[in-house]
Amino acid sequence: MPIKVENLTKEFNGRKVLNNISFEVATGEILSIVGFSGSGKSTVLKILSGLLEKDSGNITIDEGDIAMVFQYSALFDSLNVFDNISFALQERKEYKHKYTKMQLKEIVAKSLATVGLSGIEDKFPYELSGGMQKRVSLARAIVTKPAFILYDEPTAGLDPVASTVIEDYILRLRDETKATSIVVTHQMSTITRCSDKVIMLYDGNIVFRGTPEELCKGETPYTKQFITASTQGPMKIAASGLI
Amino acid sequence: MEKVRFFLEQTITYKILTLFLSHVKDFLEIFGTISYRFFQVLKYLCTLQINYKQVIEQSSRFAVDSLPITLSIVIMTSVILSMQISPELVKQGGKDFIGLLIALTMVREIGVIMSGFAIISMIGSSQASELATMKVTEQIDAMKSLKVSPFKYLFLPRVIAGVITMPFVVVIASACGIIAGGLTSMAAGKDVTWLCYVTSVWQGLYIRDINIMLFKSACIGGAISLISSSCGYEAKGGAKGVGNATTKAVVLSFVAIVIIDCIFAIAFYI
Repeated sequence: MPIKVENLTKEFNGRKVLNNISFEVATGEILSIVGFSGSGKSTVLKILSGLLEKDSGNITIDEGDIAMVFQYSALFDSLNVFDNISFALQERKEYKHKYTKMQLKEIVAKSLATVGLSGIEDKFPYELSGGMQKRVSLARAIVTKPAFILYDEPTAGLDPVASTVIEDYILRLRDETKATSIVVTHQMSTITRCSDKVIMLYDGNIVFRGTPEELCKGETPYTKQFITASTQGPMKIAASGLI
Repeated sequence: MEKVRFFLEQTITYKILTLFLSHVKDFLEIFGTISYRFFQVLKYLCTLQINYKQVIEQSSRFAVDSLPITLSIVIMTSVILSMQISPELVKQGGKDFIGLLIALTMVREIGVIMSGFAIISMIGSSQASELATMKVTEQIDAMKSLKVSPFKYLFLPRVIAGVITMPFVVVIASACGIIAGGLTSMAAGKDVTWLCYVTSVWQGLYIRDINIMLFKSACIGGAISLISSSCGYEAKGGAKGVGNATTKAVVLSFVAIVIIDCIFAIAFYI
């Protein structure tokens, strides 16, 4: 398995955010991690991408670049779209001086075309809409041809149409790059349209694992509560640290 | 035993001691963090992984943006100093020492310290808030996820810019301060001529003092950038976190300037 997580545990200030969770993702597969806010979904991504240290557990990831698409795009606001997308190619040790300016322009143009945003190289992030920023951050993520793409709530804050566009690009990128992907989301459309497998986190534990179809059936108390968005059920918002 | 402990905890001495110890702990933590960042920066400097484009950009910000306010502060301080001392020295028959006194204070203290304070308020605060904003909006996380070190891309160019540019700013500010002091002393003190002032300045200026001034200003420039960047990098939360980081950067940089100045005074003038 290209991504194998075993007994992963993480604590913040004495509170176990992840409690011995284990899962696997196969090559080219899209795994969705769902759950309430504060249930530890983004923490999993940050540990996998190396932004956070795990407390215990084993993580095995095959050779290859890991790219991450952030919840609020996280574009560098002092750089234009061209510099944002080519940032890794210009600054990373292994790519530095590898490409000429012309080659960089071609790579960036190709990357932007993949997300349907040709010709905006000179614009700055503040000149773009939320949906466009998301697509630029997708373009930035794929520029190094990653083997793994991690999406942290890619459709958060977007209108339904823009969300559908982002979901289409997630599928398209998987098909074009053959990248293994993990999507953290709590949007049902993203789960049903994009995922091959789903795991649900609650209070640091995996309370459901299966396919999107199985999730939608709502056969367990957790999945039932999640899909009906009910306040009645085993999952208490207080337990996930929201109140 | 519990009662004794409870009683002790209610005493003012205990509370003052606890507060003092918590401040000492905070200081040691900050000192440790900044030292760690310094060695990270040094690692990239020693391996010559320098982003020259960023260095030029940061240097121009450091020098060009800060120069008007730095010059204003140093010139005004020199004018005030000259207005205060010139009439007195003339009265005491010491008009030949006005230039010497102004030049010495400019080169040894006021030029560097006042420029440092101006640069903290102009550049240090802006560096801290910029990095803090990048931190709270996950831009620094994005940079790390792209496998680019923030120490290499953000810290190193800013520190190099501070070390290189600060001496130039201080030299220009001190020179302008000395000239402004001369013009003021001619206006404020009777019988003070430009020739008399300039001769007195040359008597008080030594190459050693200028070398120390350049070295001290380079250290202060680097310290301002390092502290401001570190405080910004440590920011947590939203807008409040950015504000706190900026305040912390300004306060710590002020303290650092005074400490560095003190170390130089002890090392070179005692």
